[in-house]
Amino acid sequence: MKLRLSSSCAVIAYTLLVVVPLWLAIDRLIWVAGFDPLGWINSLNGNYISQGVVAFTFLQALLSTVVTLVIGLPIAWQLGRYKWPLQSLIKATLTMPFVMPSIVAAMGFLHLIGPSGLNIRIDDTTWFATLIIAHAWFNLALVIRFCEPVLSTLDPNLEEQMRLLPAGHSKIGRFRNLWVPLLAPSIAAAACMTFVFSFTSFALVRWITLGDNTLESVMANIGSSAGIPNYMLARNEIILGASLIQFTVLIASLWLMSWLQHRRQNLLPQASEFTVKRVNHSGWMIISPAVIFALSPLIAVFWASFRIRHTDSTGTSYSWETSGWEFAFAGSSSMSSAWDALWNSLGYAMITLCIALPLGWALAQTILDVEKERPKTARFLDVLTMIPFAASSVMIGLGVMLGMIRIDAEFFYSFWPTPVIAHVMITTPFVVRIMLPALRSLNPIYDECAQTLGIPAWRRFMSIRLPLLRGSILVAVIFTLAMSLGEFGASWVVTRNSDWTTLPIMIDSLRSIPYNNTYTAPAACAVSSVLMGITLLLFTWAEKFRPARDGGMF
Amino acid sequence: MLKCNSLTKSFDKKLFSEFDLELEPGEIIAITGPSGCGKTTLLRCICGLEEPDSGSIYLNDKDITNLPAEKRGVGLIFQNPVLFPHLSVEGNLLLGNKKGDVAKALEEVGLSEFQNRRVESLSGGEGQRVALARALLAQPKVLLLDEPFSSLDDELSDKLVQDVRSILKQRKCPAVLVTHNKIIAENFADSVISL
Repeated sequence: MKLRLSSSCAVIAYTLLVVVPLWLAIDRLIWVAGFDPLGWINSLNGNYISQGVVAFTFLQALLSTVVTLVIGLPIAWQLGRYKWPLQSLIKATLTMPFVMPSIVAAMGFLHLIGPSGLNIRIDDTTWFATLIIAHAWFNLALVIRFCEPVLSTLDPNLEEQMRLLPAGHSKIGRFRNLWVPLLAPSIAAAACMTFVFSFTSFALVRWITLGDNTLESVMANIGSSAGIPNYMLARNEIILGASLIQFTVLIASLWLMSWLQHRRQNLLPQASEFTVKRVNHSGWMIISPAVIFALSPLIAVFWASFRIRHTDSTGTSYSWETSGWEFAFAGSSSMSSAWDALWNSLGYAMITLCIALPLGWALAQTILDVEKERPKTARFLDVLTMIPFAASSVMIGLGVMLGMIRIDAEFFYSFWPTPVIAHVMITTPFVVRIMLPALRSLNPIYDECAQTLGIPAWRRFMSIRLPLLRGSILVAVIFTLAMSLGEFGASWVVTRNSDWTTLPIMIDSLRSIPYNNTYTAPAACAVSSVLMGITLLLFTWAEKFRPARDGGMF
Repeated sequence: MLKCNSLTKSFDKKLFSEFDLELEPGEIIAITGPSGCGKTTLLRCICGLEEPDSGSIYLNDKDITNLPAEKRGVGLIFQNPVLFPHLSVEGNLLLGNKKGDVAKALEEVGLSEFQNRRVESLSGGEGQRVALARALLAQPKVLLLDEPFSSLDDELSDKLVQDVRSILKQRKCPAVLVTHNKIIAENFADSVISL
């Protein structure tokens, strides 16, 4: 089998851009801390910085997963089984939180529960509960995207047949013998992904809890002193220990997810949504609060960007002004303006797109090309492209940072496109995941037919392949742009020693300014609103082009 | 015209071995055989979508065995009509020949006024006619037909067999039909070969 030139180039480029920086980083950390995996893990509880972090990370991820399922499943059931006016708008609203940058969500929840909102921020317990609810808000889309299609397109004959059988005479019987077995793989897959995202949560943990840490936030906080010989050696051990646990847990979850998704894709008898869905008026009791839940944090962000706090000897008062927006866009000697952050973010997103899209597409095509004749090689490539999923954004940021130190720190810290490396590492696997099912579902007979019509390769690509893949390509483009624009964890680690502020970094910096500045919190919300607006625009656009029954998760 | 010398192809089992074929200008032949005997694979080898294990293929005395499919000048009509769903009927036909007379091609297959129709609105028989019009518009030196009538009901199939045959004869376009249906083979072709 001949491997195309583009395939070889893609594999080499991916290895250089993604695998090598991570390998260099681990190599550097081991060189400084020594090779002792058990010692690394033990160091997590032996050091005050990371004490209790492992337990907290697991606990909050497990609780978040349970709460997400409890909230998400009734919504998915209602959306999948019944007809709703403005159905696509409702679905888009409920799945939108997943594409929102996590720092925007953090700002939204801070204001929702804070003095300007519900004012229920009391102690550690309310902080923790807010974190769990915020994770549920963020991951709600996963439960809907995984379960709703099974419910909405399953041939109704199955349920009708079950009704006529003794095992399905009662609702409970049908639930136990039909719906649970059919939905179990989808629910489990959604639970796996929710667990992964909650386990690696950074911005929400950083901003919503009172100084609690997950493995991810510990790594981010102490990352700047890692990789330096004879300097704070214990921190290198903590990072290695955290990475090891995180990598193992994430790999196991992703493997489970991939296995479940494979089971999920086993063909179920399908029918049109029109024949499956019925009208159900009482379902509004679930759908209405769900829509309010999905929109509240976003409205809170926008609302709070205009609310200015004034404190004087007589007490605290609030006024409605645009000063927060003006403060954000004016900038100062110690803070870039939102314009600079916007241009940096857009610049990074565009460069990321130019690299990640062709790279991810070529990798997906390579996996497809080799999987018939060399399934093991294809599986290896598939896993290789998923490494960044199992590495989390902060680990990727550390990888890039330590890789830079190892190669040429001075050059990389003065090189404006440096953060793009981290963005490419994070977005390329998503492009692969979007393009691979699209390429798999493209019937090769179209290309063969075009060949027999005498159409040359380039024209076949332009007039057949490109238009047939258009929907998936656009979704990949929009996803890459949205992810790069909202990327926080890796950028926070990589740009810490530079002046290249992005929109999420600027939000974080504004919120970090002491609270006595009246304008910083509204300014952070103003920048969040800009980011939210762009993401909303991109998301609405993506929804328009998403192929029906695309089989992907994004 | 078209000459196949000692074509051999096997996948898990041997499909055909030392197969010879000679097709004269304007001649229509049919190849019959049971399912799985390699009829479709033989056509795919002739048009270049599969590589034969051994043997050679000549078209107008030129060795085309190693030419890519798009450079052979051999057309193929698939079992089910392959129409590109993102294009209209006209768009599909123009793929065969950018400067072709679409209206005339559609008229020839009895589908005048179908130019702007979406392909998903076509019935099986209409789709197969559009595929035929597109293949002919590409002006192939030889047209291969892979059981194009098998998915149609008897009445429609009989009509299409006669229509396609007369179009090919009018154009003096040589053709090879593979089918498992001996009656269709005899009605369509000048001669019938068993594989």
